[in-house]
Amino acid sequence: MVGKNCFAIASDRRLGVQLQTIATDFKRIYKVHDRLFLGLSGLATDAQTLYQRLVFRHKLYQLREERDMKPETFANLVSAILYEKRFGPYFCQPVIAGLGDEDKPFICTMDSIGAKELAKDFVVAGTASESLYGACESMFKEGMEPEELFETVSQALLSSVDRDCLSGWGGHVYVV
Amino acid sequence: MVKPAKGTTTLAFIFKEGVMVAADSRASMGGYISSQSVKKIIEINPYMLGTMAGGAADCQFWHRNLGTKCRLHELANKRRISVTGASKLLANILYSYRGMGLSVGTMIAGWDETGPGLYYVDNEGGRLKGMRFSVGSGSPYAYGVLDNGYRYDMSVEEAAELARRAIYHATFRDGASGGVASVYHVGPNGWKKLSGDDVGELHYRYYPVMPSTVEQEMVEVTGA
Repeated sequence: MVGKNCFAIASDRRLGVQLQTIATDFKRIYKVHDRLFLGLSGLATDAQTLYQRLVFRHKLYQLREERDMKPETFANLVSAILYEKRFGPYFCQPVIAGLGDEDKPFICTMDSIGAKELAKDFVVAGTASESLYGACESMFKEGMEPEELFETVSQALLSSVDRDCLSGWGGHVYVV
Repeated sequence: MVKPAKGTTTLAFIFKEGVMVAADSRASMGGYISSQSVKKIIEINPYMLGTMAGGAADCQFWHRNLGTKCRLHELANKRRISVTGASKLLANILYSYRGMGLSVGTMIAGWDETGPGLYYVDNEGGRLKGMRFSVGSGSPYAYGVLDNGYRYDMSVEEAAELARRAIYHATFRDGASGGVASVYHVGPNGWKKLSGDDVGELHYRYYPVMPSTVEQEMVEVTGA
C-alpha cells in the first residue's frame, strides 16, 4: 500500500499444505535492496527459487551498473522471468514495492505468468485476495504518514486473513 | 477415491463421570470462512446431544427431526428413548437417503438407563458404538491428543481440559477448524455446557509468549 513518500508491504505467516498447517512463522517478503521489497505468495518452493534467481540477476546488475535497480526496472525483470516459463509457470503471484527517484513509492503485482498490474493505491495477492481488495478499498486514504499506514495495512491484513482458512497466524509488515 | 473430509473438528468420549462432547465453531466454504460462531453441538433433548459435521442444514434438520421422534417415543411408551434407539432411528433415516447427497457425520451422546452411551452415525448409513470418536477434517489431530491423554477414571475437570486441548490442537493444524472450542458434559441428570473458549486465546494460554530480543533477522537466502 502506498503512503506519503513511503510504502508498506505485509504478508501473513502461515505455511500450509491444503488444510494442514505446516509452519506459523513463514517469511514471504524478501528484501532486494534497501528501497525495494518483494512479496511472493503461492507455492513456497517456487517462491524461494524465484527469489534466488531474482537476487542473482540483481547482483549482476549491481556489478555492471554500480547502482541499485529502480523498482520499475525490477518489475519488468520479474515479468520477463515469469513469462520465460509461460508453458510451465512458477506458481507464485509477486507483489513488488519500492521507492523510486525522489522517494516516489512504486507498487505493482503480477499474475503467475508476468502480467503486470500497476496501481497508485494498493495491490494484493494470495488466497484471500478478494477479501483483501475489499478491506483495502474501504480502509485506504491518500497520503498517509508511516504510522497511520502501518495501522491501516495491519488491520486490512488481519481482517481479511481472519476470513480465510488458508491464511493466518499473524503478519509481517514492513514500512519503508 | 479418497472422500473429501468434512471441514470441522468434533469429538466425544465416554469416561467414568459420563460423556464429554466438544467441537469447534468454524464454517468454511472451500477456502472462505463463512462463520466463526456456528453451534455444532445440537441439543436433541435435555439428556442427549448430537454433534454436527458435514452439511449444516442436513445436520440441523435431521437432529431436530430426531428430537421430534424421540419425544413421540416418550409419549407412546411412557419412558425415555435409549441412546441406542435414538441413534438407530437416525441411522435408518440416513440409510434410506443413501446416495442422495446428504452430508452428515454425527455423534449421538447421551445418558440413559444403561448409563452413558455414544454412537457415531454418518450419511452412508454407518452406525458404530464406541468409547471415543472424533469426526471431521481436524479429527486426526484431535485423536492424537485425545488418545494420548485418555483415561477412563478422569474427573469432569480433567476430561473437559482434555477435550478442550484436543479441539485446540486440531484447530491449530487444520485450516478448516477454528473459532470457539465448546465443551459439554452429559451426566446422569442431562447435559451441561462447561465452556466456550476462543482458540486464539487458548493458544496464548497454553503457549505464552516468552519475551525475546529479536525473533528472526532478515537473512540472505543462500544461492544454489
